[in-house]
Amino acid sequence: MKVITKKEFHGFIQKLINNSAFNVEGVKAKGEKFVFDTLETADELRLDYDVTILPPKKYFLPQYETLMEFTTSEPFENKRPTQSKKTIIVGVHPYDIIAIQHADAYYLDDEISEEYLQKRKNALILGSDVLTVGEKSFFGAMGTGEVTDGFDLYLTDLGDRVVIDIGTKAGEQLLSHAEHVKEASKKDMQRVQKIRQAAIQGAQRDLKLPPNKWYDLLEKNRESSVWKEESDQCLACGTCTMVCPTCFCYDVRDEVDIDMQHGKRLRTWDGCLLREFTAVGSGEIFREDILDRYRHRYYRKAQYLPNRLGFVACVGCGRCSSQCIPDIADPVKLINMITDASSYEPLETTATPQSLSLHIDDIKQGEALHEPLPATLQEVKKLTEKETYFKIALDNNEPFLFEPGQFVEVSIAGIGEAPISLSSAPNGVSFELVVRKVGDVTSALHRMKAGDKVGIRGPFGNGFDVDAMKGKDLLFIGAGLGIVPLRSLINYVIDPRHRKDYGKVTILYGCKEPCEMLFGDEVAEWDRRDDIDHMRTVDTCPEGVCWEGDIGLITALIPKATVDPSNTIAVLVGPPIVYKFCNDILLKLGIAEEDIIVSLERRMKCGVGKCGHCQINGKYVCKDGPVFRYADVKDLPEAFT
Amino acid sequence: MKPTVAFFDFSSCEGCQLQIANLEETVLDVADKVNIVEFREVMKEHAEAYDIAIVEGSICRPMDEERLRKIRKNATILIALGACAHLGSVQRLGNQWTAEENKEEVYGKTIPEVTDDSNPFFEQPRHRSLDEIVPVDLVIPGCPIDRNEFVKVLVALLQGKKPPIPDYPVCVECKKRENVCLFTIGKFCMGPVARAGCNAICPTYGLGCEACRGYVSHPHEKAQTDVLKKYGLSTEEIMNRKTMYTYKYVEKQQEKPREKEVKA
Amino acid sequence: MSTVSVNVEHLTRVEGHGNIVLNAKDGTVEKVEWQVSEAPRFFESFVRGRPWDELSFLTSRICGICSIGHSLTSLKATEAAMQIPISDQTGMLRRLALHAENMQSHILHVGYLVAPDMFRVGSVFPLVPDHKDLVLKIVKMHRLANELSTLVCGRTTHPITMIPGGFSWIPSQRALLEYQQHLRDIIPVCEDVGQALLDNCHMLPDFSRETEYIGLTSDEEYALYDGVIASTDTGTHPVEEYESVANEFIVPQSTAKYTKHHRDSYMVGALARFNLNSDQLHPLAMQWALKFQLKPLCYNPFMNSIAQVVEYIHSVEDGILLIDKLVEQGINRDERPSVQVKAGRGIAAVEVPRGILFHDYTYNDKGICTKANCVIPTNQNHNNIQKDMEVFAPTLLEKPEKDIELNLEMLVRAYDPCISCSTHYLDVTFV
Repeated sequence: MKVITKKEFHGFIQKLINNSAFNVEGVKAKGEKFVFDTLETADELRLDYDVTILPPKKYFLPQYETLMEFTTSEPFENKRPTQSKKTIIVGVHPYDIIAIQHADAYYLDDEISEEYLQKRKNALILGSDVLTVGEKSFFGAMGTGEVTDGFDLYLTDLGDRVVIDIGTKAGEQLLSHAEHVKEASKKDMQRVQKIRQAAIQGAQRDLKLPPNKWYDLLEKNRESSVWKEESDQCLACGTCTMVCPTCFCYDVRDEVDIDMQHGKRLRTWDGCLLREFTAVGSGEIFREDILDRYRHRYYRKAQYLPNRLGFVACVGCGRCSSQCIPDIADPVKLINMITDASSYEPLETTATPQSLSLHIDDIKQGEALHEPLPATLQEVKKLTEKETYFKIALDNNEPFLFEPGQFVEVSIAGIGEAPISLSSAPNGVSFELVVRKVGDVTSALHRMKAGDKVGIRGPFGNGFDVDAMKGKDLLFIGAGLGIVPLRSLINYVIDPRHRKDYGKVTILYGCKEPCEMLFGDEVAEWDRRDDIDHMRTVDTCPEGVCWEGDIGLITALIPKATVDPSNTIAVLVGPPIVYKFCNDILLKLGIAEEDIIVSLERRMKCGVGKCGHCQINGKYVCKDGPVFRYADVKDLPEAFT
Repeated sequence: MKPTVAFFDFSSCEGCQLQIANLEETVLDVADKVNIVEFREVMKEHAEAYDIAIVEGSICRPMDEERLRKIRKNATILIALGACAHLGSVQRLGNQWTAEENKEEVYGKTIPEVTDDSNPFFEQPRHRSLDEIVPVDLVIPGCPIDRNEFVKVLVALLQGKKPPIPDYPVCVECKKRENVCLFTIGKFCMGPVARAGCNAICPTYGLGCEACRGYVSHPHEKAQTDVLKKYGLSTEEIMNRKTMYTYKYVEKQQEKPREKEVKA
Repeated sequence: MSTVSVNVEHLTRVEGHGNIVLNAKDGTVEKVEWQVSEAPRFFESFVRGRPWDELSFLTSRICGICSIGHSLTSLKATEAAMQIPISDQTGMLRRLALHAENMQSHILHVGYLVAPDMFRVGSVFPLVPDHKDLVLKIVKMHRLANELSTLVCGRTTHPITMIPGGFSWIPSQRALLEYQQHLRDIIPVCEDVGQALLDNCHMLPDFSRETEYIGLTSDEEYALYDGVIASTDTGTHPVEEYESVANEFIVPQSTAKYTKHHRDSYMVGALARFNLNSDQLHPLAMQWALKFQLKPLCYNPFMNSIAQVVEYIHSVEDGILLIDKLVEQGINRDERPSVQVKAGRGIAAVEVPRGILFHDYTYNDKGICTKANCVIPTNQNHNNIQKDMEVFAPTLLEKPEKDIELNLEMLVRAYDPCISCSTHYLDVTFV
């Protein structure tokens, strides 16, 4: 532990500011509030601040970030923006340091975000103790009032002197720019502790339940009347998620200049409170009601993220609480209200301090998770009025390896990107998609012809477990467009090379009208083959149209299949409404919950569990799905809405 | 084939069309990508049919309605440009009085032969937005429009894409700009229910949002009023804030104009 | 030819909607009329019942081009009604804002609306292939003006930062100094554009009619923001007496509302200001006036456009001086207004690009507006346009109809009419 006089400290900061190799960002006043911003002079630095409007997450996950630049004529000549100067961030409070560690755990997991990693490696964090506790801050109650790592240097402003704790070698090197650095005395250290503990004590706010109990409280109170009471006042303005240091969801969109040539793919903050957060191309919104959106935020913080990453995703900074206009975003208020309303009795009330350690220096390289690979359309065939078939191959000519049930993100530079299920079994270099025209990307895709280029990312997602299915009878049920991803599995299973690995194969296919039937030739082949039982149905058949299958809902078809429930795995893919009814029937037939497989869809932007759009309660459809066992999703309230 | 574009204006201040002139060099880029066949404010030329009609201004009299219907017929796509065309803008507040009352207040009782309904220029003036007369394909909101948004919409149309007009509140953009929230310093702002896309320009300069871009498509109305009450605004003040640009929605709830007495 | 019939409906290249009608037979003009067909928006009616802090934002919407001018006049009227003081800093910043508007409006008018006539093309677009350099310079001058509006008011149209008593946000010293350099840099560009216009100046008709000119005047400066009413015929009048200056009356045989003062009609605008106050112009502006042979009293309405060019240059010079003064005094970015709401009536006048503008408000003790009156510059010009046309039209009758039409259009355009403004409150003439 070192110490320098205040004067020397100012000199030190000013030296860093004057050094052209550094970009110094620190806390300064903005009107009556505080923000992290570029320091012009050391005088501007306000270590006595309570809390900033936005957290330092903006340095690692900027509000608007150009992921890549391209021209529409050369869409794969991507330019990735680079940063050369080192950024020094001065005055980061302990709770924000911990929040940055949360962000690390999120962005540097098994899919390491290169853009995020670079910014982290390029930054030096100078933490500082809280001198003024914000009116709504409760970091003391959250155990985020002190840190032992996560910083390069850590400052405690004692008034006339500044105590400096060295966290890393880089921090030590930085401190060498300061003059007259001495060893801190015991008295200095005592003063530091006094300040720190005073802040922690001052940031309790009568939170009735410690964070490690929140999971349980929320588990037992999903139907509490508090949710309606509070969300009735929610304006869905998005403020809470914008200012939160542990909110990381984002959207990606393409923008093109008026010259119709130069464009970029832009990432920007998004929030689950906003109505369009879960909207897909067809216009459906999967979490539409304001109560659901309001409640989701709390569950994500207190249940879903803790489940996934091991910590409660709230650091008690108080930003949401102080900036929510109707004052309903305050976790303290909400937790206390539910605790009171449910007479929840916690067993103990102490908060365990949070600590995570992810060493940035240990991570060498990330991936540009959003950059697609060039691919060419080999074949384009219109199947119906709304659906078109595409055969695509990556330009690198390598076999495209994937599991049936996975999906790819198809990218058209300047238009955008859309998730499309793979519709073929893995088969060398090319793969097949069937696309319904609903939005910008799919409409643009429909206008393309063989020889045109698209970008491909993937494959993503949890596919069908073809190994677990071996030796079993398989009951395939494809409703409407559900046949498209199901086909990837069907074609794998009935392929002569694999057919003998599986037992009886029954394929049920239903759609609204005969004209909507896809894959006519293949369906006819299912009829012809002895080793496949096949039945098909349409909801209605218009006058004069020739149809030889059943007429009626697909639910009526299921009981007609002869199945041995003890040895059958049912694979069901269709629109949301179909699942509710079909699952009931399958269960009635005696098929176990673990043996019913479904494939769900949501809005998927990143494909790697980061953008947050595809959440079904705590599950990511892009990572934990799209293929799920019914047993694993049946209790998710949002799964079959 | 470059699409043909024609500009028209009705009752407005022409500030929205001015934004297009204010594109400066970019206006030449725009003129390069589309064929501007009519733009009365800056050109002499006139056209009979066009792919895209961009219309500024609210509709006031039967003669205006007629002209608008003609434009709608001649155009494939009709775009409402700005708050006047989208909502009726501030002049719509005049609808609180009858046309007679308005004429009397402004012109006095002395020239009835000029101001009565027999004169088509004065016939039943009552301001409405375009979509109350003809179907509108697209709205570019704002008072004035944001000229960069105009270019983005044009680019999207040329790309065959849905124009990128946000449907989330101004708060999102205001927070991204890290503005001091006006509510936290005792002021008032329509941001939480107003449509974003302006990059929260007014709150950035210290002025509460006036919802000149209209509301988001699904504003939580009940919450809105509760919040206003929480901030100590009287019902009258609430009505004032809710009607500067968005009187259209209030007017629809009232059957006919009421007697409005303003105490001196 | 014996019968001449000109009917220009929805005159192009003016702001707002107007028609020109001319019927002549055998060398005699039977009827020549300037009609205004813009739809009324009734601002003076609907501002009743609105609070004092909203008025300037409502009335700025009277006009897209003069939104800053309307806003300033409105603020001054409210401040007069409630005796709200403003600081020197506010006064200087407001003057900068007004210069920005003047510059923007003038260069838009001269560059986009009038220059095509001087070069005999339909719009600014055909000028691009052969005169790209000139067009780009005009665009640069336009952009400079827009930058100043944005710097002081937050944006170019419908100012955000100006409120009763001062500003809701004030630019930094650094930003002002940076902008000041841009002002210095534009001077050679102005001179190039000035020269191009000088070379084509002969394309403007040489027409003259003795006229009364009215505008603001002040001892301190070339009056734009503050001053008293001045007339080339009658001297000065206090602003409170505006109604007796801008007499509105109805001519029995026509239904148009006209204004007149000492003579049958009067003109406002850049030419009027020049005629009243040219000795207060800054040196470079004065130099250019001389180059164009513009001297007071100039009775040629077509020279209004030239007076606008001169005013642009004056605004550049004055802008540089204002920024010097602001920086010298020290910019206080935290300064905010102090307002005591009370009942009262306030009248204010400001020179906007097209001429003198009056706003007159009455408030009750809750700060709610109970009555409003606005007299718009263009409205004050309609009568003068009519009178000019009556003298000008007969001189054109020998020309081909297309030329007569062009000349009459040019006459109206020369006034730079802002018809949307003037018809918040309408005049109409029918054939």
